[in-house]
Amino acid sequence: MQLRLPRPAAAAATAILLLGAGVARAESGIGTTTTFFHESGGALDMTVLTPSAHATVDMGEAATVSARWEADVVSGASVAVVDAPGGTVDAITSATTLSDVRHVFGGSLTFNDDNTSLTGTYDYGFEEDYRSHGMSISARAEMFERNTAFEVSYARGWDRVCTLLQPRAQEAVDRSRLPNADGCFQAEMERDTVDVSLQTFQGGWTQAWTPVLTTQLTLTAQILNGFQGNPYRAVWLGRTAAQEHHPENRARYAAGLGVRFWVKPLRGAAQLFGRLYRDSWGVESFTGEIAYDQAILAGLRLKARGRYYTQIGASFYSDDYQRFPQGQYFTGDRELSPMSSVTVGGQLTWDVPGNEEGDVLGFLGGLEIVGKADLIFHDFSEFHYGRAEVPTDTALMATFGIEAIF
Amino acid sequence: MASRSSSEPERTRASRVGGWCVLLIAALAMTLLAACVTVRPEDKEFLAEPAMTFGSGGEARAQDEHVFVNREGSFGAGGVSGGGCGCN
Repeated sequence: MQLRLPRPAAAAATAILLLGAGVARAESGIGTTTTFFHESGGALDMTVLTPSAHATVDMGEAATVSARWEADVVSGASVAVVDAPGGTVDAITSATTLSDVRHVFGGSLTFNDDNTSLTGTYDYGFEEDYRSHGMSISARAEMFERNTAFEVSYARGWDRVCTLLQPRAQEAVDRSRLPNADGCFQAEMERDTVDVSLQTFQGGWTQAWTPVLTTQLTLTAQILNGFQGNPYRAVWLGRTAAQEHHPENRARYAAGLGVRFWVKPLRGAAQLFGRLYRDSWGVESFTGEIAYDQAILAGLRLKARGRYYTQIGASFYSDDYQRFPQGQYFTGDRELSPMSSVTVGGQLTWDVPGNEEGDVLGFLGGLEIVGKADLIFHDFSEFHYGRAEVPTDTALMATFGIEAIF
Repeated sequence: MASRSSSEPERTRASRVGGWCVLLIAALAMTLLAACVTVRPEDKEFLAEPAMTFGSGGEARAQDEHVFVNREGSFGAGGVSGGGCGCN
């Protein structure tokens, strides 16, 4: 029962991605998508199954309503006390099992005009140890003969995290980790809740430059306030282990540029993407992605992609707080250490061809089936469990989805 | 020391104003640049292809982002919905 996901970021991402999905669709339809994620090594492993379903109803030309559900079914084994002296080898032998299910229910309403749209979304997420409410609003305008599109959005999140009841004035180095989720959100005497507030601003500019070249620039800023650590995780500080302690405020900034180029002789599209990121915790990162999407048969497309990610760790990160403390904060989160990753994978998309009237299977306006798989190779060069390297450095991610339009 | 403490807030304020001016000028330049581009509707055959449309990955793309957000220390700027091609 120890879920180790940075949920505030996930909730914000959900809100922003919901916006994109809501604006893009203006037809009635239903769809379902499931992603399987797995990584394992040594005594550690993590499996996340993420099923989702959505339905969209076109209310005439002026409005679209959609509803959505998503779940994360998590199971595996993780390290509860990072760097704890664990006998002869390392702390990995102290791995503890975890399992949890997160549900998110959401909906959106979009008002459409010929060249503009306005979308509002709401979503509610819950699991044993976490509650989240998220709202967002976005406005979009197409202009200059629809060669240009601008979009701005704002998302607000109110989250609550379960933790161990401890005196608020207690020194961080004396705080204990949450042993399990028993009694969370149930007025249990030994449980407490702390708040996390999120605000996300995003702007996008999509531009068609020539008949075969289009680009998209996206800027994102996010402000988080509140408890941002993992309540279950503790860090060994020398004489004792204390619940990890992160700053309560975090400001995050990112800029991304996507380029798509149609290769006429091959009837395929080359796709490039680059992103720069920095935040007030000192994390700076670069993401580069290259992909090629090729039509191979009528309605059938094959896409291959490679992605590289690298980051500088947080300013308060240390691989060994006993010998090299970094001020008042301490973390056992490997995602805050200097790290890099390489992702390679492929995707097959089948847009099922219709009959002469355009109908698919006699009653659908369209049917799309997507299957994709990626391998992710991580390099945590400066993160160790005691003296042991991270054993779970390779992950498999596979997705299958069906989308039907009426 | 007194003159330094009084000038630092002024410099910070001037820097902020300068930053906003640069942003405003960039936004204006961007709009002018966009207005100068003309791709006629009859030339948008390739731009209308799903592979050329940003955000066309739908739920699969969203779940992709969901995994990376949970496995990396950064977030955001992953893209917005498609457009700019006159095809949606």
